[in-house]
Amino acid sequence: MAKKAKNTEVMVRPKQNPGVYLKRYWQLYLLLLVPLLYLIIFKYSPMYYVTIAFKKYSIVQSVVDMPWAKNGGFEYFIKAFKDKDFLYALRNTITLNMLDIIIGFPIPIIFALLLNELRLKFFKKSVQTIAYMPHFLSWVIIYGIALQLFTKNGLVNLVIQNLGGEPIKFLDDKTNWVATYILLGIWQSFGWNSIIYLAAISGISPELYEAASVDGAGRFQKMWHITLPGIRPTIVVLLILALGNVLGSGFDRPFALQNNAVMENAEVISTYVYKNGIKSLQFSLTTAVGLFQSIVNVIFLLLANWFSRKMGERGIV
Amino acid sequence: MKKRVLSMTLAGVMVFSMAACGDNGGEKPADATPTPTPPAVVDQNTFEGDGSEIEGGSSEEITDGKFAETRKITVEIYDRGNDGGTDPTNNMYTDYIKKGMLEDHNVEVEFVAVPRWTEVDEINNLLAANNAPDICLTYSYPTIQTYADMGGVMDLQSLVVDNKNDLPHLWDWLGTTNMYWDKSVKDGTLWAIEGKRANNNRIVTYVRQDWLDKLGLKEPTTREEFHDMLLAFKDNANTLLGADAAKMVPFSCSVDVGWRAALLIESMMDPNITDKEFYVNGFDDRKLTQNGTKEAIRILNSWYNEGLMWDEFILHDGDTAEDDMMKVGYVGAFMHNWDYPFRGGEDSINANLKRMVGDDAKFVAVDCFEASNGEYIKYTDSTAGDRKIFFPITNDEPLASLLYLDWISDPEHIEYLQIGEKGVTHDVLPDGAYTFMTTTGDAIMNSGQNIDMTITCNGLRLSTEELTLASTYNNYPPCDPADVKKANEVANSGKRPAKNSKITTIEAEAGVGDKLSAKRNEMYDKCMSCKPEEFDALWDELMADYLSAGGQDIIDERTEAWEALYGDAVTLE
Repeated sequence: MAKKAKNTEVMVRPKQNPGVYLKRYWQLYLLLLVPLLYLIIFKYSPMYYVTIAFKKYSIVQSVVDMPWAKNGGFEYFIKAFKDKDFLYALRNTITLNMLDIIIGFPIPIIFALLLNELRLKFFKKSVQTIAYMPHFLSWVIIYGIALQLFTKNGLVNLVIQNLGGEPIKFLDDKTNWVATYILLGIWQSFGWNSIIYLAAISGISPELYEAASVDGAGRFQKMWHITLPGIRPTIVVLLILALGNVLGSGFDRPFALQNNAVMENAEVISTYVYKNGIKSLQFSLTTAVGLFQSIVNVIFLLLANWFSRKMGERGIV
Repeated sequence: MKKRVLSMTLAGVMVFSMAACGDNGGEKPADATPTPTPPAVVDQNTFEGDGSEIEGGSSEEITDGKFAETRKITVEIYDRGNDGGTDPTNNMYTDYIKKGMLEDHNVEVEFVAVPRWTEVDEINNLLAANNAPDICLTYSYPTIQTYADMGGVMDLQSLVVDNKNDLPHLWDWLGTTNMYWDKSVKDGTLWAIEGKRANNNRIVTYVRQDWLDKLGLKEPTTREEFHDMLLAFKDNANTLLGADAAKMVPFSCSVDVGWRAALLIESMMDPNITDKEFYVNGFDDRKLTQNGTKEAIRILNSWYNEGLMWDEFILHDGDTAEDDMMKVGYVGAFMHNWDYPFRGGEDSINANLKRMVGDDAKFVAVDCFEASNGEYIKYTDSTAGDRKIFFPITNDEPLASLLYLDWISDPEHIEYLQIGEKGVTHDVLPDGAYTFMTTTGDAIMNSGQNIDMTITCNGLRLSTEELTLASTYNNYPPCDPADVKKANEVANSGKRPAKNSKITTIEAEAGVGDKLSAKRNEMYDKCMSCKPEEFDALWDELMADYLSAGGQDIIDERTEAWEALYGDAVTLE
């Protein structure tokens, strides 16, 4: 049978018993085993420990032996949702991430489009490099810079005062802090995030632009009718990923920027988990919150994906 | 985006790896059941004293203090990871201990380094892995209690009594007070011995001597005078600071208001407060729920709104901005650890002031926060409540470990470890006091006076008290010993050391400590810096939040525990 299959293989690829491939290419499958093992050992088997969320954590017991938590295992979920601070953190996480998406998501796209229009190569490269740079700064350093710029005696407020204005509390006022947080985030990441769009733009066939020129299209029209549609799949994929992370958040950005005056708006889930869970050795609570966060993220991801398929785009899952 | 995914993954890995550590410890040793408890009736009279009131025995395992065969123990030592320090497990001083223990008791000692700043996490991991040193120490009693509840800690009660005669230095130095500080009133178990604070000075108020002189002011002796002084500083900012006048901070405070204004807060507390009330609210060492705190913060709030305080303190949590302002001379007064302006040698605040501002510029200690009865009370810690020493259940050499504690409590050994060798680490002044030198190489002490090694003694303790004091004053070159002396005297006047309530575990306190501390700081910060007319509403709102986040549960459980033990009595004997 194997012989027969071999003869017809070149012409039409028939349905084959998977065992045949396994037998023929076993060396390759063996190689595949290594990354597979890696995934199983480091990514999948640790997932079992997520059951800590439903158990009363004990550092000397194995996770199998730990007793189940009260209320059918949901003790820590109930505890989290009864905690006002957690609800604040949940609200802030969603607000800050949504603002990040609404304000921050289009900026790298616009930046990439603008950069693409530049003709002077040297200038383009310089702008690009300078825009990437903040991405490599840690948030602690960015906070240091922010202190130099935005405090009462900081550069920005000195300029405002010299122009006859009142100093603005950029960092220790609840509302202003949110704006500062979002703007610093955009400043730090827009250059870096534009790379992927630039790559997508360079993949658009030049013939389209030439054809458009022949038809008399101007720069703006080319941008609107060729470049943007050309990178639309990329935009959608990145948007899905961004929405899939609406309940997630980095730790260092909020942690470095927050202070006691703005905590109602600045505490997010990751910093909440750090302060209430890890620092206080409440691992069950931490795991419960983490699990909740992951589940909501997956739901968001799937929803966004479903939505994009409905709109006629390719999804990622 | 990728960064977020990565950080999420990392966070996940961290949680899981911690969990995995728990897994390793899952298989308990066969003997992990708690050691049998002594008779349930506990003699309550033996909780305090110098140790002579307890009759003990001695072990037959040793003759002349020595084991017949060499025993081996491991001992925890903090690793501070300081620049240019020595290997904490192997240096001139560890050699001294190893040699001494082998000669005196035929016990071989091996040190196990544990990072000082993550000691609780680290000791947790070691205990969970059944890999902890035979002698462990930590600042966190809840950690010990947690393991004791799981059967992972040795009960020391009968050990220290049965071998008492072999442990003269230990009992002598710690006394019953420290030996039995953690003894359970319920079942007599003793999970840990408390190392002793040789010095329990706490907080002192400092003001700029040269500013007082320039303005012809006297040292403030009351809160009112202190306030007037701050106003005078502010009004004369141009005279005092010239072009930098706008940068003046008459009274400086950090985000940790409860510590940095402690003397003011505590002076508003009822000086006749009962032991019961003090204990019930004592879970917060920044006195948030004590009876005078609200009014104290109201005073701070009014000072803040008069422009007497640093208006951007809230942005500088954990950086050196405030210290820098003190060093360049913008700050007029502050409260802090009793020796704060002298700490750090050439980089100390006073040394910097002298260099940058002028020879006469310095902070000096003043005593100006009087309680309602006119006393200048300093609520301090007791000699206990500092580091706790315990033996994990995996310790196979409890007697040898106790002999180690005894050896390390011998005054002669403490003195050597603290002052090192003449001409290398210290010099002797004409009056006999020691003065400490900058050391290099193997003689470097990784911790001040090697307190990490003298685990039963935290702080300088020399053969006589006079010598200890004189040497303490000379311990902060290039700062003036007279200034240190004055600070020490202020710190010691009106001391009220904490008493032992003998109540060991409050379940409501488990796992909420950090959360409540964070809330308390937030509350202090906001209430201090809000508009005066918003103060009452804000205080009440935040206090309600604090209490509902766990504060009230603790207060209730503490009240119950007190009443269960002492009935209607409100004072400790």
